Amino acid sequence: MFCAGLTAVMAEDYPYLTFELTDGTKASVSTASLTLTMNGTTLTTGSQSFTLTNLSKMYFTKTDMSTGIKSIENGELTIDNEIYDLQGHKVTKAQMKKGVYIVKTKDKTYKIAVK
Amino acid sequence: MKKIYTLLTALMLTIAAVGQTLNVKVGNITYQFPAAQTGDMTYADGQTLTIMGKAFSLSDISAMTVDNTEVTDNLVSIAYNGASATVTVAGNVAQYVTPTINGAYVSIAQSNTNAVDNDEITYQLSGTATDGQFALSGSYKCTVSLAGVDLTCGTGAAINITNGKRIQLSVKNGTTNTLTDCANGSQKACLYSKGQMQMQGKGTLNVVGNTKHGIKSGDYITVKNLTLNITKAVGDGINCEEYFQMKSGTVTISGVGDDGIQCDLSGTTSTGETADHEDEDSGNVYLEGGTLKVTVTAAASKGVKADGDMTVSDGDITITTTGNGAYDSDEQDAKGCCGLKADGNMTISGGTLTLKSTGTGGKCIKADNVLTISGGTISATATGSQYKYSSSITASPKAIKGGTKTAVSNAPGGGGGPGGGGGRDNTQYTYSGGIVITGGTIYAKSTNHEAIESKATLSISGGYVYAEAGDDAINSASDFTITNGYVMGNSSGNDGLDANGNFYIKGGNVFAVASRQPEVGIDANTEGGYKLYITGGNVAAIGGLENSSSLSGVTSKSVSYSKGSWYTLKSGSTAAFSFKVPSNNSMGTSMTICTPSTPSVTSQSSAPSGTTIWNGYGVVATD
Repeated sequence: MFCAGLTAVMAEDYPYLTFELTDGTKASVSTASLTLTMNGTTLTTGSQSFTLTNLSKMYFTKTDMSTGIKSIENGELTIDNEIYDLQGHKVTKAQMKKGVYIVKTKDKTYKIAVK
Repeated sequence: MKKIYTLLTALMLTIAAVGQTLNVKVGNITYQFPAAQTGDMTYADGQTLTIMGKAFSLSDISAMTVDNTEVTDNLVSIAYNGASATVTVAGNVAQYVTPTINGAYVSIAQSNTNAVDNDEITYQLSGTATDGQFALSGSYKCTVSLAGVDLTCGTGAAINITNGKRIQLSVKNGTTNTLTDCANGSQKACLYSKGQMQMQGKGTLNVVGNTKHGIKSGDYITVKNLTLNITKAVGDGINCEEYFQMKSGTVTISGVGDDGIQCDLSGTTSTGETADHEDEDSGNVYLEGGTLKVTVTAAASKGVKADGDMTVSDGDITITTTGNGAYDSDEQDAKGCCGLKADGNMTISGGTLTLKSTGTGGKCIKADNVLTISGGTISATATGSQYKYSSSITASPKAIKGGTKTAVSNAPGGGGGPGGGGGRDNTQYTYSGGIVITGGTIYAKSTNHEAIESKATLSISGGYVYAEAGDDAINSASDFTITNGYVMGNSSGNDGLDANGNFYIKGGNVFAVASRQPEVGIDANTEGGYKLYITGGNVAAIGGLENSSSLSGVTSKSVSYSKGSWYTLKSGSTAAFSFKVPSNNSMGTSMTICTPSTPSVTSQSSAPSGTTIWNGYGVVATD
């Protein structure tokens, strides 16, 4: 019985609060010492700001559920990533030029822009 | 084993609560939503945010944070701090709770009509408010937990619960709580609950009622475990309807302007006592344990008053009344104070009762119908004189009184019945109730009037009864029957034992002491055509027996005695009891003894060994 209670503790950990916009875009923020501030029509939390009318919902998650165009360093891509251009052609890291690509990692899929 | 499970369950709940919590702050109200419970929290039109069914206007939200605060489901905490208060609401009940805070005045509307997560909502009060209140409305049962709160209200009741359902008022262990209401207000009590109130917990609650009652419930009140001190009330200390039940704990009531505890019938027809008191509306009082100490001083006030019946089965009960009698304009009669008063029946089967009444017309125990004593230890002392509103409207002090004698007509030439005194009174009477003693140890003393008086029949079939009075020690307005037990009537101003009807002694052990001639030890209403019948028992009577007594199966004789000396009454060679002749009589030097076999007495220079009874005037062989 005690162990079951202990297991529950591990299952209750939600390190992310994920915001979902009306267009389906998701953005997760860490729940560590999180403060959400509303100023007029804007909700701000950490580095993220949301227009209140664009917010659909929010929920606690165990992983980062962020979607949408995201800036990442080129070096963050690994050989295991599957990369596609917007026409659906699979490309290699070396073939990537300036433009928008879909990158599938082990955990999630990103839409990235190469500048 | 139960404790272990409880501990493990509590541990699990505590551990399960650790995790992220979203705190939504609206002014001084914080709603706490555990991450594991929230699910989708939806925004609508940039105007509202709904979390677990609770809709917030975004413009009302002053802050939102996430931390690791532990949240106890179903708990609403109210913390008072001087002239302000804060409220914290557990997320799982947020949608059902609407708090309003104005300074330290906290008002909560509860909307659920069923249990939330299989439990009820608990409101926990703490802190100090110099001018504040807790008000609660709703239509489902809940708990109000006092966890160290000192609440003074300047405009009404300190706690005002208009939720008509069952309220559990829990006084948290180890805490001291004080409630004080305003003076000259319109509130019914300092602590008011429209619905049933179960008072419990192992903490202390002090109540100061400055306008009317200390505590008032529109339904029943039960008391268990807690220490309750009512130090002031303009009206009653506790006033409730349906029934009052004290199971345990310590209740002390003083400084009240009316009764200590009063229980009224809520409707117009009594249900009588029901199984487990389910849906009971009886006006009954049940004293079943704990320590109850009541002091009342107002004219004609009662220590504990039942509109219906009263049952005393256990507990340590001390009641003192000091007020004088008063005229009751509703009943057009004179009323005295009383320690324990039942408009219906009263049953005493256990407990230790110490009752004292000092005012004019004051009584210690009174049941308008049947008073039954089967156990317990009772000490009842009435020291007042008669209250006279007019020459014909009076209230006489008694230690113990039962039954009702009602005049129904004035028939010229009528015999008048047992209470009529023969041809001296033509009034016809009806008799209801009376006194039945089957056990217990009773000390009853009335300085100026009867110590024990039945306004109807009186029967004693067990127990140890000592009655001492300035009038008849024990009097029955109708027939008086003794079949067993030990009975002593010690009068300093009239008969020892007196029946206005027939007097039957069929068994038991009786010692009666009359005061002076022409009174007798044991009297019956011979003038009214009634008689003393002795067919059994062991009897010693200072002042003798009624002249026309009928003795059958017993033998009597007159023996000499000396005041202050000890004697052992024997029936044949069998000792019945030993007794000491009081020094307060002027009956000469001979007494009548009567036993089934040849009666005799032997004198002793001091009390023989054995069990002392009758306030030290008797000794019986120890079993």
